[in-house]
Amino acid sequence: MRPELKEYHYDWMLWRILAPASRVADGSAKELTHMYRYAPYFKGILQPILQEGAVGSTFLKMMTRYMENLNTAHRRGKKIAITTFCFSPAICYALDVVPVTLEVVTAVGGLMWKRGTFDYLDYACEIGFTETSCSSQRGALGAYLAGLGEEIDMVLCDTPGICDTNANAFAFAAAYLKKPFYHLNYPQGLADQRTEKYHVDDYKAMIRFMEEHSGNRLDQDRLREILREVDRQDALLADLEELHRLIPAPLPPIYNVFNYVGRFLFSGSPEYTRLLEQMVKKVRENVVARRSGLNSGKEKLRAFLCYIDHYSLNWNFWNWMDTRGIAHMGGILSRGFRDNACYTAELPGSSYSLDMGSLETMLDSIAQMNARLPMVRSIRGPYDQPNMWLEESLAVAKMFQADFMIYNGTPGCRNTWGMVKPFAREIEKHGYPVHIMYADAFDDRVESWAATQERLNEFLQVRGLL
Amino acid sequence: MSKAMLEIFYDAAEKVNSAAINAWKAQGKKIVGNTCSYVPAEIFHAAGILPVRLRGIETDNMAVGDTYFGPYICSFPKCILQLAGEGRFAFLDGAVITPGCDAMRRLDECWRKAGEDIPGIVPPFFYYFDVPHKTAPHGLDWFKEEIRRLIQAVEQHFHLSITHEALRASIRQYNQGRRLLKQLEDLRATPEAGITGADAFAVAVAGTVLPREEYNSRLAELLQVLEQNLPAVADGKKRLLTMGSISDDMDLIRLIEGHPKALVVAENLCFGVRYEGPELEENGDPVAAMAQGYLGKSTCPRMYGKYQERLDILKQTIARAKVEGVILQNIRFCDLHGSENSLFQRDLEAMGIPCLKIEREYGPLTEKGRIKMRLDAFLRQL
Repeated sequence: MRPELKEYHYDWMLWRILAPASRVADGSAKELTHMYRYAPYFKGILQPILQEGAVGSTFLKMMTRYMENLNTAHRRGKKIAITTFCFSPAICYALDVVPVTLEVVTAVGGLMWKRGTFDYLDYACEIGFTETSCSSQRGALGAYLAGLGEEIDMVLCDTPGICDTNANAFAFAAAYLKKPFYHLNYPQGLADQRTEKYHVDDYKAMIRFMEEHSGNRLDQDRLREILREVDRQDALLADLEELHRLIPAPLPPIYNVFNYVGRFLFSGSPEYTRLLEQMVKKVRENVVARRSGLNSGKEKLRAFLCYIDHYSLNWNFWNWMDTRGIAHMGGILSRGFRDNACYTAELPGSSYSLDMGSLETMLDSIAQMNARLPMVRSIRGPYDQPNMWLEESLAVAKMFQADFMIYNGTPGCRNTWGMVKPFAREIEKHGYPVHIMYADAFDDRVESWAATQERLNEFLQVRGLL
Repeated sequence: MSKAMLEIFYDAAEKVNSAAINAWKAQGKKIVGNTCSYVPAEIFHAAGILPVRLRGIETDNMAVGDTYFGPYICSFPKCILQLAGEGRFAFLDGAVITPGCDAMRRLDECWRKAGEDIPGIVPPFFYYFDVPHKTAPHGLDWFKEEIRRLIQAVEQHFHLSITHEALRASIRQYNQGRRLLKQLEDLRATPEAGITGADAFAVAVAGTVLPREEYNSRLAELLQVLEQNLPAVADGKKRLLTMGSISDDMDLIRLIEGHPKALVVAENLCFGVRYEGPELEENGDPVAAMAQGYLGKSTCPRMYGKYQERLDILKQTIARAKVEGVILQNIRFCDLHGSENSLFQRDLEAMGIPCLKIEREYGPLTEKGRIKMRLDAFLRQL
């Protein structure tokens, strides 16, 4: 790693960039224009965020708060856990542990800096982590492995058998940094009684582990308070998803990111509720004005991202969609699978409900909620089995009237690359053209944006979509 | 020890359609393949079915494998699918797929989907065995139930009964094989070593194919001969250990031992003693014994968070076999072994044990020149 990179902590740098950015959001248009000159690379993502007005400002403030929490955790006597995007941080807040969601923290760096997280990605490989591993963890993890971040106190993940490359990143980190490690392990089924019992047993064991390593006891009232907030968030998300079905889609595409970044960093926290409230308000305004969420205002096509999006510098993928009038109908990260979500009616057994009656019912609820987060819900079993990827993608694409689907991930995603070809073939049989992207969502060096764009354009042309 | 004595082991280790498999089928008996060391072979043995570990040997192209699997996938499951697609596994009456890793568990979908295009390549009994990734009480309970369900599925499909008594008898039979393999490992740990790494590896791999009774008796004969007159195979050579991700490549061991100064005296692979694991409890509930024996051993990095235990096992093997250098290999895209190999390298080299880390493709040694060059450099360092 270049010596100058070792001068500052990665998470501290993110905080120090996001903090002024969130303040600028409250400034005048003139101030903003001048400020952009000083953020030549960051502005690629900053502009679309700030363009969203109050919602963008709230999002930046939420991110700043998260980074502040992380960077001051130890000073405030709190423990830090690294974890993953398919793990709900709500339990961390209930136990007063600060979560570091690696994939989000990687994406933020990748979007802000000209070189993305390349140096950290490479550092992880320098010390022996495989170059074929998933870049989503490796970016931020590289910094933590290099000691360029707040010290980690424990490692939590929930992907063994779901996404081994993900689980392996956390297991490697725990062994390399010599930190305590716990993993939730999900069976291949989802909604049967035996599996749901396993979810709860495993979750309870994880809570015991967290209590031991945080020194905090799980407080029933605190958990209830967090789950009430989750309940409010789920209701707002259900509203957003219902509104997203309208043509033209009134959600600005970037709201997908606001939605899941909030959920992966701040589930159960008031900061995320505030963001969702503002999002719903803005989307309702768009509905009344019959306005598309796209910048162009003209929706020509609706794309469903059957896996994840692409987070390259300057928001390239999202700009590409927007300029072509393609509405982003979300992906596996966008869906929460609460029982009040519009698409769950067609997917019996896929959703969870919240029961805050007693500690037992709350633990059951949160365990089932966690089991329905991205990947751990729909990619745990064979893609063509009930409740899994094929069924979910078809139901959601139908519900949101998608015109086509795009698969994008990272080369590290052994789990989906292991079956995406037959999966895409099945999807095509149902009338949805599918484009398989070979890019890396977090590392532009794998396939240049120019090449990715060329292939996307070719797909639209060859399939007669535009 | 005569060459003829080893012939049956080499035949089983290096041929998809080995003589043993052909002979078994000629008797009209059933064969079920499995993809992972976590599938209790005793279940099939107790049912009078021959359990065989599925491997990708003798593959010469990837036309079928690449059609269904994506590009960033380990070549091992691709080779298995290739052989299946070519009809080379026509002898199988069943196959059991497990979540050994992401690539291996996706063999389930890819094989089934390939079967829609190439009729007849999916065995009639095609079963998904959901092995958990933890040994906590709820993990063990889950695994016990999986074993019970597998037994029931075998009984129903093949119209037979698997009694606890039969399972206990099979456990005894397999335990005997485990003890014999351990004896072989003990001989390899002597200063003479007694047997080349290639020969010993052929014996270990053959254990996943040969009918157990025959395997035990042939191995017992071999051990008797070796113990009577232990050849000084080591003879000033550097004592090496090979380890890492799946490898049944005899050619890799031959390549290593092609160097005049190299001898492989131990393995830590999912073939051989690691695959066979510790002896299972012979009395009591056989399901509990299999669950504890197969899941509880934690010898594969798929059991996350157990690095230290695996390092301890490795250190014991190194000390016992007086290993002077370790060759850590992994198939490309195997992140589990690839990254754990780096941790092993860090910790073993800190103990003064030189390590060579190789990433390679499974199958015919297409990278023979590159690997040979690195081996030569490594052995010079030793």
